[in-house]
Amino acid sequence: MTSQINPAWRRRPASSDRLAKIGARFLSDMGDSEKNADFCRAIPFLLDGPSQEWIVSELCEVLTQKGHKSVVFHIPENAGDAQQAVREELKRQCRGCEYCVLPIDSAATARAQRLDHVVLLVPANLDAVRRAYRRIKYLAERDVPEIGIVLVGPRDQHAAWRYFRKLAVGTLRYLDVPLVNFGFLPEQVTPEHGPADQHRDNFLSRISERLIGSEFFQLCAVDAAGIS
Amino acid sequence: MKLRITASDITDPEELRTLLIDAADELAGAGCRILEPQLSWDGHPILLADAGLHPVLVSFDVAHGQAALLNGLKNAEQLAGTLAWVNQVYDFLQQQQRAPKLIVVSRELPPGATAILSACPNLSLFRYRILNVNGETGLWLERMSGDNAPLKAESVPAPAPAAAPPARPFVVAATAATDNDTLPSLSDEENAYFQQL
Repeated sequence: MTSQINPAWRRRPASSDRLAKIGARFLSDMGDSEKNADFCRAIPFLLDGPSQEWIVSELCEVLTQKGHKSVVFHIPENAGDAQQAVREELKRQCRGCEYCVLPIDSAATARAQRLDHVVLLVPANLDAVRRAYRRIKYLAERDVPEIGIVLVGPRDQHAAWRYFRKLAVGTLRYLDVPLVNFGFLPEQVTPEHGPADQHRDNFLSRISERLIGSEFFQLCAVDAAGIS
Repeated sequence: MKLRITASDITDPEELRTLLIDAADELAGAGCRILEPQLSWDGHPILLADAGLHPVLVSFDVAHGQAALLNGLKNAEQLAGTLAWVNQVYDFLQQQQRAPKLIVVSRELPPGATAILSACPNLSLFRYRILNVNGETGLWLERMSGDNAPLKAESVPAPAPAAAPPARPFVVAATAATDNDTLPSLSDEENAYFQQL
């Protein structure tokens, strides 16, 4: 039977041409250790506010616990379009890491850095969904990146799905931008939960597994060229 | 961050529905679940199950408290008569046999609520206010008890007296996205689409 999955729930088959070129040029004939030595997988997170920084830090910890050495990299606030400087700093800080997670405060920064993958952390309320849509609209004005969504604070999976569906149908209908659903952090999962909280770890693990499983990252050369 | 809180208002029942669903814990207690966000009965109430798997019907009306109350009473009776059906649809209710709870949400206490409230142990009344907190719309819910004192508010539109249980505010958390000014505005069609879930 032919698949009838709504494009909103499908991952687009390929990311950018730049990524494909680099993959063909460098990755096909490298061992895993060599890949890890030369490349870092960057996962940019576009935050709805500074109060969400803990999510990025915790995801970084979870990735490391799973054997993927990771680091949080903050793009300097005044970086603007200075991609080269950011690349240099990223190369310096992320050497030896498999993943690097980038918390980003504004869509303008994401666009200026020409990121081709972005995960939006979207609070589960209608105003935040509307704001996320405006940010996606802003990002889509130039090269449309791959966009993933994590819902923050819905009461349960059903509520998370309703918010994601609202946003995904809207971006597909008006912007022709499909979204990837990376899950949710329910309202019970808060920064006040201790790091050893099993409930919180379960949700963060699920998100990190989806990110890794769907290869939702941007390759960054940490020894050779800059961000690609 | 500086909080700027102002009174606001809504006229769209669907917007109130969204806010109430977000505030379900304030209405039915922590751990409740949404069974139906919009029942196709009069007033289109919300059906929840509390932490004890007890069905909870939330009847509301943006303008007419009396309509919310009357629709709620009628729908609660209808729900009680269809518990067998509800149990079939929702296995996890574990063959619930208790009469459903009814929660009525309105801007002001509905006329006649005093007598009905004292006679219906399964009925709870909530008064709501819409607030604007740093540009975010939030819902303030205030539970009205069956004591005599708070019910005087029915005839004297004033804040709940001291005898009422402490108000349990629910305000959508204010966020601090830094790029609101640079983001593109929405077209009328987009605005209409994002008016409700």
